[in-house]
Amino acid sequence: MKNILKKELTLSASILSYLFIAFGLMFFIPGYPILCGVFFVTLGIFQSFQNVREANDIIFSALLPVAKKDVVKGKFAFSCFIELCSVILMATVTAIRMTVLKDATVYQNNVMMNANLFALSMALFIFGFFNLIFIGGFFKTAYKFGKPFVSHIIVTFVMIGIGETLHHIPGLGALNAFGFEYFSLQFGLLALGAVAYIALTVLSYRCACRNFERIDL
Amino acid sequence: MSILEVKNLKKEYPSFLLDNVSFKLEAGRITGFAGRNGAGKTTTIKSMLNLIHPNSGEITFFGMPLVGNEAEIKKRIGYSTGTVSWYPRKKLNDIALVTKKFYPNWDEDAYQKYLELFKLDENKTPLQLSEGMKVKFNLLLALSHRAEILILDEPTGGLDPFSRDELLDIFTALRDDGVAVFFSTHIISDLEKCADDIVYISDGKIKSAMSVKDFCSAYSHRDENIEQTILRLEKEKTV
Repeated sequence: MKNILKKELTLSASILSYLFIAFGLMFFIPGYPILCGVFFVTLGIFQSFQNVREANDIIFSALLPVAKKDVVKGKFAFSCFIELCSVILMATVTAIRMTVLKDATVYQNNVMMNANLFALSMALFIFGFFNLIFIGGFFKTAYKFGKPFVSHIIVTFVMIGIGETLHHIPGLGALNAFGFEYFSLQFGLLALGAVAYIALTVLSYRCACRNFERIDL
Repeated sequence: MSILEVKNLKKEYPSFLLDNVSFKLEAGRITGFAGRNGAGKTTTIKSMLNLIHPNSGEITFFGMPLVGNEAEIKKRIGYSTGTVSWYPRKKLNDIALVTKKFYPNWDEDAYQKYLELFKLDENKTPLQLSEGMKVKFNLLLALSHRAEILILDEPTGGLDPFSRDELLDIFTALRDDGVAVFFSTHIISDLEKCADDIVYISDGKIKSAMSVKDFCSAYSHRDENIEQTILRLEKEKTV
């Protein structure tokens, strides 16, 4: 596992996958749909999959002395690594906004979604759906990624729309809490996002292993 | 015990059928896999490497079925495919550094020896290599982990005559060390130079799998070499 992840990080990855982790800093931007940062992180991962196809990486990996499911595991491990790096960055920004910048006028007047635990939960949901739709879709053929990526774009922007809309609905204002307001609710939503992320990723990994085992390379 | 046994392999495509392919490879023998383009050589090799899924048939390496023992078997085999380049923009050194981690029996001395012999510059990328040098890089990776069997798909394609000659000499040296070498080729003269056995495939069917000597006795006319024999057999088929 260590070796296949190292291969992903050093040979298969596009430099953009690493650079685009910085889009997690978009959680600082007021008056902007911050979940777009999550989309840009997935765009970085997508660049690595383009590299994979250009570099004949799938066949190279399948010829290594590993089981075929380890090839799939490598791709998921790499994607989850990038996603979790960006989640840590977003969580750091969120913590800063929830504490030292809690009373900043620019954030108090923010009409868009706040950076809070619910926003992190939505980010985890989007990453989970990316793993399910894009990575799972890629492994149906191990070379076609156009349709899965377009499907991912549609789902992501629907999710961003939902995230930006929900707190405007009467009774759901707590979703846009500042600082530590409604902490139990917010924490519960974050836990729900984490569970959904794990469940969607595991489901996608299992389907991808099954599909990859079946296809001819 | 055979080092590799392919039994009744069948793979069906809409326009091609690999039909009932069977042969065995022994340790310390060089086997040439001959056949014209599209005869089924690459399909057979891909099946042997579990890259494609046969409709039926069985492949065993070292007495173990390929299915279920893939990782263990692949540690003991070396594979090289013609001029396909991996990671065109990465340095050869970086590709080798990652690759060697997967092989507990990686032989750094052999790696350095073949690196020098093939005159490969580790700081170059596959994109900067000629087609022949790409073949040599693939071979370098295949030869550096003490493989007990080498499976090489068109290894001499794209090589200049000097490099081909060197490569065939390497095959001979490996055979003397007990390694089984299986290489596909449509350049029959390569096969004549070093092969002990010949597996001849035509239209997806194995026409013969025997020693070169037996092949000549069975199929060659007087004063005919293997290349002329195979050309004649292919022509007779189309008449």
